[in-house]
Amino acid sequence: MIDALQFEFMRNALFAGLFASLICGIIGSFVVVNRLVFLTGGIAHAAYGGIGLAFYFGIPYIYGTIGVALVAALLMTAVTLKSKTRSDTFIGVLWAVGMALGVILLDLTPGYHADLMSYLFGSILAVPTADIWWMIALGAVTLVITVYFYRDILAISYDAEFARLRGVPVNLLYFTFIALVALSIVFIIRVVGLILVIALLTIPPYIAEKYVGSLRMMMIVSIVLSVIFNVSGLWMAYSYDLTSGAAIIMVAAAGFFASFGLDFLISRFRKPPETEEPDRQPACR
Amino acid sequence: MAAEPVIELTDVSFSYNGQPVLKNVSFTVEQTDFLAVIGPNGGGKSTLIKLVLGLLKPDSGRIRVFGKTPRKVSHRFGYVPQDTSINKSFPISVMDVVLMGRLRHHGRSRVAASDRKRAIKTLEMLGLNGFENRKIDDLSGGQNERVFIARALTTDPDILILDEPTAGVDTGGQTELYSLLKKLNETKTILVVSHDLMVMSSYVKTVACVNQHVHYHDSNELTDAMLEMGYQCPVDLIAHGMPHRILKTHKDF
Repeated sequence: MIDALQFEFMRNALFAGLFASLICGIIGSFVVVNRLVFLTGGIAHAAYGGIGLAFYFGIPYIYGTIGVALVAALLMTAVTLKSKTRSDTFIGVLWAVGMALGVILLDLTPGYHADLMSYLFGSILAVPTADIWWMIALGAVTLVITVYFYRDILAISYDAEFARLRGVPVNLLYFTFIALVALSIVFIIRVVGLILVIALLTIPPYIAEKYVGSLRMMMIVSIVLSVIFNVSGLWMAYSYDLTSGAAIIMVAAAGFFASFGLDFLISRFRKPPETEEPDRQPACR
Repeated sequence: MAAEPVIELTDVSFSYNGQPVLKNVSFTVEQTDFLAVIGPNGGGKSTLIKLVLGLLKPDSGRIRVFGKTPRKVSHRFGYVPQDTSINKSFPISVMDVVLMGRLRHHGRSRVAASDRKRAIKTLEMLGLNGFENRKIDDLSGGQNERVFIARALTTDPDILILDEPTAGVDTGGQTELYSLLKKLNETKTILVVSHDLMVMSSYVKTVACVNQHVHYHDSNELTDAMLEMGYQCPVDLIAHGMPHRILKTHKDF
């Protein structure tokens, strides 16, 4: 694969994969521990409306998808915060409306349309340099916010009510993070496509969560796993002439199932975890 | 008793989806009171607590804590929520849960070495020494409960509010918990939501019965003799009327 790096498109693909991993590891962990997988799917699909809008009005498609993804994300989050019990229905509706809007607007736009398949399955081999800069910027912002507000984010994800009592601006941080989720989706769609963005956001954190003891380690392990999946998927796509997004996801899926095998082995060879009460100290002395 | 009431509710009403949960609730809680909030399921106990904490806003009426709106003094509360096992599978250590009690203590999203020391001291007080690095997932129900109490105490609260703290704790643990609360009560105001007044009857000073309306029974009504009677009899103190008229009867339950 080293010789492949002489091509600019391969270098771009590799950088895109690495920065996507950084973003996926952090944002994906947030999504998984906050049970936002469905909301993330909703944003990703609704964002297709942005493609339609961009083509219809003749603006760069990145602005269309960013705009629609952000609006959809904010609407979904507002509804989720207001009524936890029925927000999934609302998300499902926006999910469908966004896609329908995209398809209809593309119907109404005369001429040849950009390849729908590349939106659905990604085209990491065709990532332009400008997108790499976008991803570097997004990765840096995500990293800085996460490191600085780590304790707040941990508290919001674990027990939002308690965080609010401690004076953490819960809604502001929550909306900020959902906005980051929306932006991440737009850029990761470039790498693996709409259909597969959920898998790359959720599989690494899901595997990581089983073996770590903190949200921080979950994020770090997720980033490492993402890098492994992206680079080896890319290598497979290059060597065997496969669709890159699909190859990356197949590697991730292999890791997903391998982790189940690992769990099985761990449970066979390790004694059951201790749950007995240690000698209890008197509460007051 | 201090002159200024710690908590003051005036004609507070709250409804959820058009259903009234609490109607015209008025009562005051004095400094170093130990208030038991009792009542039937769905009677509005947790709602009342969340209104006091400022997590919910009343439809009408006024709530003052230390003379201010609850939101303004939320850092003075130590809160133990009802369901402490809701996020069990979350990858988090006992230490990180307890450290949430020090969140924003220095105005920023950071913890200092002094916060860690404080957290360890509180865990020791609750008989959880050596548990700092255990995953919350590995704990039993009672241990889990004590971690959440440790988190509430680490905030250094003036008012301690516990929503059914003995749900997952065995009888021995309950006695331990209440003797700890009694000690804390020397300096702190305590509100406890509970079903079983039996266990805490020798610790509480006042009782609020919640069932849409709130009936507040102050310390004059809860004489030692009454409490002792309630403690020995298998009849719940909540049973207003027959056979033991432990509290003054009131209408509409």
